[in-house]
Amino acid sequence: MSITTFDKNMTAVAFAEAGEHDPARQILGENATRQHGKSPAPAAKSKPYLKTIIFGAVSLSAYYMLFTNEKLVTEVFTMGGWRWMYPVGAAFFFSFIHGAFASNLLTALGIEAKK
Amino acid sequence: MKKLLLILMFALLPLSVLTQSAFAAGDGPSKDMLKGIITEVNSAERTVLFEKDGTKEMVTLALNEKMAPEDIALNQKVLINLDKHAEAGNVMKDISVMFMDMTASKLIALLVIGAVGGLLSGFIGSGGAFVMTPAMMSLGVPGAVAVASNMCHKFPKAMVGAYKRWKYGQADIKLGLVMATTAVIGVQIGIKIQKYILNQFGGAGSNLYISAVFMVVLVFVGGYVFFDAWKLAKGGGKETVSKLALRMQKIQLAPMMHFKTAKVTISAWITIPVGLLTGMLAATIAVGGFVGVPGMIYVIGASAVVASATELIIAFVMGAWGSVQWGLSGLIDIRLALLLLATSLIGVQLGALGTTYVKDYIIKVVMATTMLIVAVSRGVKIPGYLIDLDLMSPIQESTLALLEGISFWSLVAALGSAALIIIVAMIKGMTADSRSKKAVLGVSNG
Repeated sequence: MSITTFDKNMTAVAFAEAGEHDPARQILGENATRQHGKSPAPAAKSKPYLKTIIFGAVSLSAYYMLFTNEKLVTEVFTMGGWRWMYPVGAAFFFSFIHGAFASNLLTALGIEAKK
Repeated sequence: MKKLLLILMFALLPLSVLTQSAFAAGDGPSKDMLKGIITEVNSAERTVLFEKDGTKEMVTLALNEKMAPEDIALNQKVLINLDKHAEAGNVMKDISVMFMDMTASKLIALLVIGAVGGLLSGFIGSGGAFVMTPAMMSLGVPGAVAVASNMCHKFPKAMVGAYKRWKYGQADIKLGLVMATTAVIGVQIGIKIQKYILNQFGGAGSNLYISAVFMVVLVFVGGYVFFDAWKLAKGGGKETVSKLALRMQKIQLAPMMHFKTAKVTISAWITIPVGLLTGMLAATIAVGGFVGVPGMIYVIGASAVVASATELIIAFVMGAWGSVQWGLSGLIDIRLALLLLATSLIGVQLGALGTTYVKDYIIKVVMATTMLIVAVSRGVKIPGYLIDLDLMSPIQESTLALLEGISFWSLVAALGSAALIIIVAMIKGMTADSRSKKAVLGVSNG
């Protein structure tokens, strides 16, 4: 059975009413520090699995769309002139989407920079 | 913020002015190249009907004596080089199909090169370009398309790498933009020299010049970096600012510039030549970073970590500019660029975070190793060019082919050994880090 914040508050109130101020403060205080993330051993940060999957899916579908329309894309992207915006824009787009996927993937795998 | 915007404008101004005249290494195709579709072949007259891309203008081109009419690919985008020395006009020198068929093995090859190139780039600031272009060409991509596609893959990769390393507090944006601005001007000078040599001594002369520059720069600079890294490794890895940089920092010639992340105050007159040389080298051998990073370390006085991170900013600015140039001529094969990016965006971030675990001198070791092995790959090509220029008596075809093979595989070896050093150093750093964290936890809990 898990103890909710409500349960904790009620326990603290019960102690406080009985005149046991120190344990009451302790119960509430522990709760407060947890919320501010200042406890000596913070819980491990949750890994960005969902983000990795979402960005990965967007990136993969963008790749899929590009390669299924290979002929049209290569044709239009190489017309020259102002169409330089197509390949350069696509490179930017993929670098954001796929870059975010790669970044989340590494974090999800537990590979992070030294702090 | 205002200051940053000013610097940015300062960096972009010459770009807009200089974009007109750029045509070489990273800056656009030759004017003798035609792009379009062959619509008809006339076997009897040995001519083809060619529709130019964009303008839809139709021209008749003649086959040269080596071309067979049945080998001509119809209704596919092709690049055609005209024979400038032919007596009759409009004779084709060669035809290459612009978009190679993507097979599974080519796809895997691109992904692998992308990953290793990205790792190197994230770690030492530059890398990959010197092997990606030749590798793509050996997969059957025409030279101009390989250069263009590499350029288009380089700037997003550099952008992601630069962002990561800026977040780790390693990249000096101001130094990067100042260097990039002067490097762009350096590219122009480099192109002028290239053109002069090409006009005076022809293609083989130009190749010989490129290889010679490659060799001299790589052997001397790479050798020095290696020597320095070796000294540091022996002395426990404590990096000090070079004597040359200390002397340069003492020169009080206005305007003085302060670079916060690099922790350097130096006259703009010292950064300008370093940037110019970076650009000139980029226009000659397509890897400016081989001068840019050592220049920032030994002349300006930044640490190897800051210099390699800052190089990524330079690579981003120059790559973006180059991509616009190649895009204007419509030579970027976006499939190649994006396939390389698929793995290089992972590699570059891995390389970037790797720098936070290793000692500074490891970056120098990786850089020096890469430079020295790449020097071999160019060195073995020199006999071929000397023969073309009649400066050396011909040698056997098989020996030349062997040298070509050595050249290509030494590039692969350069990339492979660099990746190996990075991965080993990174794993060592990570294990040491987690061990020390555990020890700290043990102390605090006990």
